[in-house]
Amino acid sequence: MPPHKASPAHDAAINFEPDAIVVGSGAAGSMAAWVLARAGIKVLVLEAGRDYDPVKENAMLKWNWQAPLRAGSTPDKHFGFYDATADGGWEVPGEPYTNAPGSVFKWWRSRMLGGRTNHWGRHVPRFGPYDFKSHSRDGLGMDWPISYDDIAPWYDRTEKLIGVSGANAGLENHPDSSPGVLQPPTPPRINELAIKAGANALGIPCVPSRYAVLTKDIPDDNVPRQACFYASPCGRGCAIGAAFQSTTSLLPMAMATGKVRILTDAMASRVVTGRGGKATGVEYFDRHTGANHFIQARAVVLAASACETARLLLNSRDDGLANSSGQVGKNLVDTTGTNVSGHIPALENRPRYNEDGKDVAHLYIPWWLYKEQAAGKLDFPRGYHYEIGGRFGAPGSGSPAAGLEDGYGAPLKEDARRYYGAQISLTVRGEMIPNADSYCELDPEAKDRFGLPVLRFHWKFSDHEYRQIAHGIATARAIIEKLGGTVLTPRLPPEEAIAVGGWIIHEVGTTRMGTAAGNSVTDQFGRTWEVDNLVIADGGVFTSNAHKNPTLTIMALAWRSMDHLAGRMRKGEI
Amino acid sequence: MSGEINRRVTLAWVAGATASPWLVDSAQGAPVITTDAALPGTWPNMELPPITAKGYGSDPNLVDPTVPWPLTLTPAQRAMLKTIAGMMIPADSHSPSAAALPIDAFVDEWVSAPYPQQQADRALILAGLAWVDAEAKTRFAADFVSAGDTQRRSIFDDIAWREKVKPGYEMPARFFVRLRGLVMSGFYSLPEGMKDIGYMGNAPSTEWPGPPANALAHLNAALAGLGLPPVKS
Repeated sequence: MPPHKASPAHDAAINFEPDAIVVGSGAAGSMAAWVLARAGIKVLVLEAGRDYDPVKENAMLKWNWQAPLRAGSTPDKHFGFYDATADGGWEVPGEPYTNAPGSVFKWWRSRMLGGRTNHWGRHVPRFGPYDFKSHSRDGLGMDWPISYDDIAPWYDRTEKLIGVSGANAGLENHPDSSPGVLQPPTPPRINELAIKAGANALGIPCVPSRYAVLTKDIPDDNVPRQACFYASPCGRGCAIGAAFQSTTSLLPMAMATGKVRILTDAMASRVVTGRGGKATGVEYFDRHTGANHFIQARAVVLAASACETARLLLNSRDDGLANSSGQVGKNLVDTTGTNVSGHIPALENRPRYNEDGKDVAHLYIPWWLYKEQAAGKLDFPRGYHYEIGGRFGAPGSGSPAAGLEDGYGAPLKEDARRYYGAQISLTVRGEMIPNADSYCELDPEAKDRFGLPVLRFHWKFSDHEYRQIAHGIATARAIIEKLGGTVLTPRLPPEEAIAVGGWIIHEVGTTRMGTAAGNSVTDQFGRTWEVDNLVIADGGVFTSNAHKNPTLTIMALAWRSMDHLAGRMRKGEI
Repeated sequence: MSGEINRRVTLAWVAGATASPWLVDSAQGAPVITTDAALPGTWPNMELPPITAKGYGSDPNLVDPTVPWPLTLTPAQRAMLKTIAGMMIPADSHSPSAAALPIDAFVDEWVSAPYPQQQADRALILAGLAWVDAEAKTRFAADFVSAGDTQRRSIFDDIAWREKVKPGYEMPARFFVRLRGLVMSGFYSLPEGMKDIGYMGNAPSTEWPGPPANALAHLNAALAGLGLPPVKS
């Protein structure tokens, strides 16, 4: 261990004498901190990245022309100049990861207070009853140790807390929220209505989407949040708190309890265990000084993101902490993804209006072929959805005519007006099934700037995913063609069209929950089978990864697990 | 233009001018053309000094954006860009000419950036500018900027239209497509361009009512033409 260097922040954290340490301040960590603090438990949050002020630092209403390269994507800022990601991305300087030969996996990491919640997509469909018992339906993967009914109350609570606008669709395996939970949906845009018309004509549903974007104020004495003001991309972060992120909601709410401290620039390196195998606390590196510190607590909650949590366990003990099942790092899945876009001549020169709306998509195409799948009529086992797009978007680093322009001079200017806003896109997001070839482990050689072993990824899709993507592409093309459109996306075989592993940033499963110590890392409450006072709250615990974006389920599970942990701490079991 | 972009652009111009390759030898920034570009359609093979400036990094100030890398184009290249931008996007009743806005500065900012995509564009666009100039000299014994509008258009007409690219002129046509994309990006993202194409957003409001009646009527007429039933908001 490097020599201890004086650190006022560390000394303050020691003097705070936390009951619990939460590693991570994103979706799971902020939820964990708030739930525990409300139960009267003193919580120290360790965040590997820097402090971040979502009000002072964001660029909500800046124009694209005010930023370098018209705010377009660069290796420094993959999602564009104004994206609310500080010091994070596909690469983090000094903190590498590796790919095993033949594998391609991209790992998006955040290094800032609030983690990825500052810029996430905010699309929050619920998992349904089938999604927790998919092995029972098709024999693949493993069932969760819980059912939909076990988590449904926490879905309601989480949706109410984070604020979800949308509507109940009443569709198979797409559960409705309880009455009074959802905020009102937003009317669809023209291109979304066109997609709905094309999809419906093919028997495909297209329904109001559910996004963690407020359409009504959420008053609060300490942390009020305002309804969306219908301007600015959500990915820039939302200073008014309309688009959910932990830095404008759960973290300040947790701080307002007086029971929470946050230590930023603190990279957790090891969960320390003592007598009886209990966790005694966490070691971390001070990002600025490089010094390694230890803080003790009665309970440790890991919410560092699925792969970072797995890495922390693997680095905590030679054979991996809480790893007698050998499942830590295994069962790594992402969401499958591809995009199909099309030009719709019927939408050329359509009447102008302010089409920003809530920024996110107002309609959504949920998976609809459950009966066909159950009847064996499809050649792939799990579903996908489409996130749809197409609008009069803010001009930036691309041509407003989507590359359809030709020539120069007056005809070119006509092209710009004619083709602007006349395209649609259908983005496939599908379920990947865990397989033995997709996992992460410690690289035997490579170390990060702190001297800690880094992750090495192994990755392989199976025919399940390729066939699903092929179906998603073919159906998207059919919708575009139903609207008389031209597909703009080159026709590729699914093996090439599918996004590489990790690219959708839905990586989960590396510390899955299960029914027994032999098949999983944690029980249904995220408690590791081996270390009684060590709980995992992030997406690592997913037993399977339905096509539905994971963050809502991460947060609902985290709340449920923290209720359980808080109960045990109150009863003196920990 | 607002004062903000003017100040930012001016600072970058000053930085760029100090490295003007028209005034210094090639090792300090001028492209070296190693093959004879004076044959019509011959694509110049250029050796470009690498861009070594730093990018804006993974944690730039988003509230007060700056372009940290120096601009690298020569005054002659900038003059060509201005002329080309004005030909691509001339003034009409909707908006001014791209030559009246700092689009040449935007293209300079783009090709001077130290990122892989921008460096690939730099190679294509600088070679393309050299080609256009050589083509004008060969055809008209005048550089591109000094040539007459009809003469310049005769070059464009060989490379600008998707279905009418002159055989052998595929590389110049690729250059034209890429530069046109950059010029359009630069132009239509400025207030004048946004007004032209009718972008009306980035305007906070307490309500968002959805599409107006005329937009819905247009859509439903379009759907009727496709044999699809009408939709409601």
